[in-house]
Amino acid sequence: MRELLSYLKPYKGKIALATCLMAIAAVCDLLLPTLMSNVLDKGVYGAAEGDTFGYILRTAGWMLLTCLVSLASVAGGYWVVYQAISGYTWSLRSALFRKVHTMTLTEVSRIGTSNLVTRSTHDVGTLNWVVSMLCGNLIIIPLMFLGGVVLCMRKDFQLSLVILCAVPLLLAVMLWMSKKIAHLWDVSDEYCDRQNDLVRERLRGVRVIRAFDREMRAHERVTDATRVMSENMIRANVRMSIIDPLAGFVLNTAAVLIVYLGGVRMERGSGLTPGDVFAMVQYIAIILGAIVSVSFAIVALPHARVAVRRLSQITQSQGLEEDRPAQGLTFSGQLALEHVGYTYPGSPNPALTDLNLQIGAGEWVSVIGGTGSGKTTLAELLLAFRTPTEGTLRYDGQDAAALSPKDVRANVSCCLQKSMLYAGTVAENLRMGKPDASDAELWEALELAQIADFLREKPEGLDFKLEQAATNVSGGQKQRIAIARALLKDAPIYLFDDSFSALDFLTEAKVRMAMNEKLAGRTRIVITQRVVSAMHCDRIFVLSNGALVGAGTHAELLQTCPIYREIYLSQTGGEAL
Amino acid sequence: MKKNKEPQPKKKRRLLDETTKRLIHELRPIRGWVLLSACLSLLLICCAVAAPKLMGAIVDELYVWTKTHTPDLAKRLLPGAALLFGVYALQSAMSYGNAYLLNNFVTRYFTAGLRIRLSEKLRRLPVSYVDKTPAGDVIDRMMDDVGYMADTIYGLIEVLLSGFLQMFVIALILFLTDWRMAIPVVLLSPLSVLLSAKMATLGEKHWDKHFNLGGELTALAEEAYTNYPTTKAFNREDYLQKKYDDLSERHQRNGIFANFLSSIVQPVIIFVDALAYIVVAVVGGWLIVHRGIPIGTVVTVILFARQISSPLERVAFGLSNVQHVKASARRVFALLDLPEEPDPVGTVQPPTRGRVELRHVDFSYDPEKPLIRDLSIDVKPGQKVAIVGPTGAGKTTIVNLLMRFYDIAAGQILIDGQDVSQISRSENRKLFAMVLQDTWLFKGTVAENVAYGCPDATREQIERACDSAYCDRFIRRLPQGYDTVISEDSTAVSAGQKQLLTIARAMLANRPLLILDEATSNVDTRTELLIQKAMDRLMGGRTCFVIAHRLSTIVDADLILVLRDGQIVEQGTHRALLAKKGFYAELYNSQYAI
Repeated sequence: MRELLSYLKPYKGKIALATCLMAIAAVCDLLLPTLMSNVLDKGVYGAAEGDTFGYILRTAGWMLLTCLVSLASVAGGYWVVYQAISGYTWSLRSALFRKVHTMTLTEVSRIGTSNLVTRSTHDVGTLNWVVSMLCGNLIIIPLMFLGGVVLCMRKDFQLSLVILCAVPLLLAVMLWMSKKIAHLWDVSDEYCDRQNDLVRERLRGVRVIRAFDREMRAHERVTDATRVMSENMIRANVRMSIIDPLAGFVLNTAAVLIVYLGGVRMERGSGLTPGDVFAMVQYIAIILGAIVSVSFAIVALPHARVAVRRLSQITQSQGLEEDRPAQGLTFSGQLALEHVGYTYPGSPNPALTDLNLQIGAGEWVSVIGGTGSGKTTLAELLLAFRTPTEGTLRYDGQDAAALSPKDVRANVSCCLQKSMLYAGTVAENLRMGKPDASDAELWEALELAQIADFLREKPEGLDFKLEQAATNVSGGQKQRIAIARALLKDAPIYLFDDSFSALDFLTEAKVRMAMNEKLAGRTRIVITQRVVSAMHCDRIFVLSNGALVGAGTHAELLQTCPIYREIYLSQTGGEAL
Repeated sequence: MKKNKEPQPKKKRRLLDETTKRLIHELRPIRGWVLLSACLSLLLICCAVAAPKLMGAIVDELYVWTKTHTPDLAKRLLPGAALLFGVYALQSAMSYGNAYLLNNFVTRYFTAGLRIRLSEKLRRLPVSYVDKTPAGDVIDRMMDDVGYMADTIYGLIEVLLSGFLQMFVIALILFLTDWRMAIPVVLLSPLSVLLSAKMATLGEKHWDKHFNLGGELTALAEEAYTNYPTTKAFNREDYLQKKYDDLSERHQRNGIFANFLSSIVQPVIIFVDALAYIVVAVVGGWLIVHRGIPIGTVVTVILFARQISSPLERVAFGLSNVQHVKASARRVFALLDLPEEPDPVGTVQPPTRGRVELRHVDFSYDPEKPLIRDLSIDVKPGQKVAIVGPTGAGKTTIVNLLMRFYDIAAGQILIDGQDVSQISRSENRKLFAMVLQDTWLFKGTVAENVAYGCPDATREQIERACDSAYCDRFIRRLPQGYDTVISEDSTAVSAGQKQLLTIARAMLANRPLLILDEATSNVDTRTELLIQKAMDRLMGGRTCFVIAHRLSTIVDADLILVLRDGQIVEQGTHRALLAKKGFYAELYNSQYAI
């Protein structure tokens, strides 16, 4: 919590100013009934003192002034406080975003993408709301309360004890209620999420669900979650709706007591005037209003606690990438893995074991293996997303663990398993790896990736806009744009991690041929499970269960590596043997 | 709970449009309760009116006493005070009762009832709707829009019933108490409504923009976190950070205006209220001094004037939200009103032999771009049909049509000579087992997922199916074995293993026809060999449709359909097609091209 609030520091001055302005407004609001009681007591009732109506007018003038000051300061206060809060929210968001991008891949996948999104949007929103509550009206509530009590005491000490008793009693009840409600809200929130997940799951799986005629069951699952959610929500709401009438009852009872006891005390000759009594009744109305508005805040605090807890998980995350300044190195393209092993945190079995491979500059190699063979882990090691837990990965003889990840990534142009494109034009996406590329270069890359024709048909051409997650192009088109992006980037090493999976063989063959021409002399690492993607490479490494079980050319491996032979046979039927 | 949102009197004409009528219509099943709530509201108003009168009388008594000093003041005050206490107690009790009613009936009806209806609706919508609509859109309607409606309709009813009525009654009483003091109060109140309405409309524009920018911000964060590895691989963190910060700044700047305008509404009302208060004090003072009216009357008027502001404030709060609610309601109703998939009731005559015929079938997703034209094939029972072709040639379309996820535009599909358009969709689908490229697992145990196609399967049957799909071994290695909870994004099982599970699911379902859509593309090559054997066993005696890029898996097919741009360009056996040296041969040889 403290850490999250620390972003408020730069806005201390503004918040203080806002608080002062709000306080002035609160004082004005409290002065109003006092002035009114003066009108009644001295103006109307003090008829003996001469120009009573003049007094009334003068006091009315003061009242008007008070109102104006109150309005002006409350407006000013809100204006300043929202400046501060918006600045705060901005810096919190920005810091979270930055933080996420310094986390390691392990940490990011542990929290999960959708969780990260909820945290940086919904939870920040909740916090923003709580802070604006705290800085905005909540801060003047105690002031109103204390001010009201002090003013009451000035009128009559004993009578004000009635208010002094009523208010804390009420606050206690509200706090107790909020605790009781918190659990209901938690359950309701949980089932709200569940509902959400179920509907999402249902929409995604619509074909399977209908194929197996399980729509009814899917619908029932959603319905069950909805019922639990709304039952809990309604119970919480009903409990919460006690607060308003209860506060009204307690304070109205206090008002009745005050008029009655006021009468009793007047009779005993305490010097109390009816105007005083009336003023006190009005103070109670002010306090009541304040309390009702605070009740919403108190009940909402449990929500805020959840938000804070979840945000702290990000701000206090441990798995941070080492921050070494980039040196602007350019690699030759030569790399070596020496006894490299990798074990995922918390996993008993290594994903990669004792991997030894040398790849010379300009070589065209392929790593082939089935699901779970450790291919993707290898790609992540090469891109410095992970550091080997055993052995060393060297680029040009330098230990990759000692290099800045930024340097490594600048030298490796990659196309990852899931082709991730960004909302924006195709040109913007392509230029990610080479910001100053000319349009001609872009077209060339698109041509190589066999996607140029598709874009030429579009009136926008290179400025064709991709939606978020590139939903407006097919999987194969997405993959080819990602390939074009990788080809465009100028780097000594090119890494393709299962990048052709959505392409048919004909297209893949065309891409492969074009690529070989363009990238001749550069190191190319093709990670794949398709034997056709691998078989033409200079050298093929065969991975199985995280270990290297074969290395050599296609022809060699067919002779020496039974696993490779198996893969080949299963995929091609052995026709070209 | 959100603060109540209500309409304003000025917009009444616009308020009574189609959406509003529909909303009112929606309330029909609970109208009894709404009526009861209305009665309670009326009683509440009576209390709200009586209390200031009583209080005024007591204060009056106090003032009279200062003149006369008659003894036994306390005793004379007691009945009035007791009555006032009673009224206050009744008021609190009834307002709780009313909240209870509204929550239990209105809120329940909207949060649960409407969502369940939407969920029910989803069952009957065509797959094409789901394909076209982002899941987030449907979820937004079901969760946020309905939630917003629930919060708001509650308030709408409360305000319509109590807010306006209360304002009216108070104004009336004010006039009856003293028309001279009533005039300034009644004149100034609409002024504050007007002012707050103006500000609310002004604020609404900023809120809209604020929400839109917020949506963009979420989208950007989502994209950034999803594309995390790519962002890093291209060293684009700083660029994205700047983009995010800029957008966030615009979002916040808009938020300042929006929040400011919303927050200022209440102080403005209070100010106008205070103006009325001052005028009452002056007029009241003058009346007391020069006309000698009792002070209690002034006190009563002042207390009433304070009361008129509370429904006013509530009305004002709601102004900016009316359009939002209606926007939400419109979105919800639009979903509820979508055309549903027609479903004939015909049944299939068992036993199914498995002959599938397509006769002159036309189909396209987009009427502008015809995809399948005049497609005719005849598949004999037990035959294995392979569908091949480049990406986008329309291979998966065949699945959509066979499973009747989409309806054909022209022609006929016949199963065992029976036109499927006469059979109910679920009957039709029960004939097929299906393994899709896009594996889908729901959140549940492994066993539940495998048994998806036949929920009554025993554990033994499930295990047997898993064993033949070669997933028994890895399932047993999971922390809770068959009872391990898995889901779509579960990391406990790999992509290949998920695929295996869907194969096991198809095996267990044991349907006469089989559709395999790229079924083996994600499976470990070594396992694939085993699966192939298992599949062969499964396919034995069944009519199968296999869609694969990997031509090796379909060389033994009885019929290969070669698709290109939605058209069947070639058909025949592997050998015949190779001999033809046409498009298929080109595709096939491309596997070995450099």
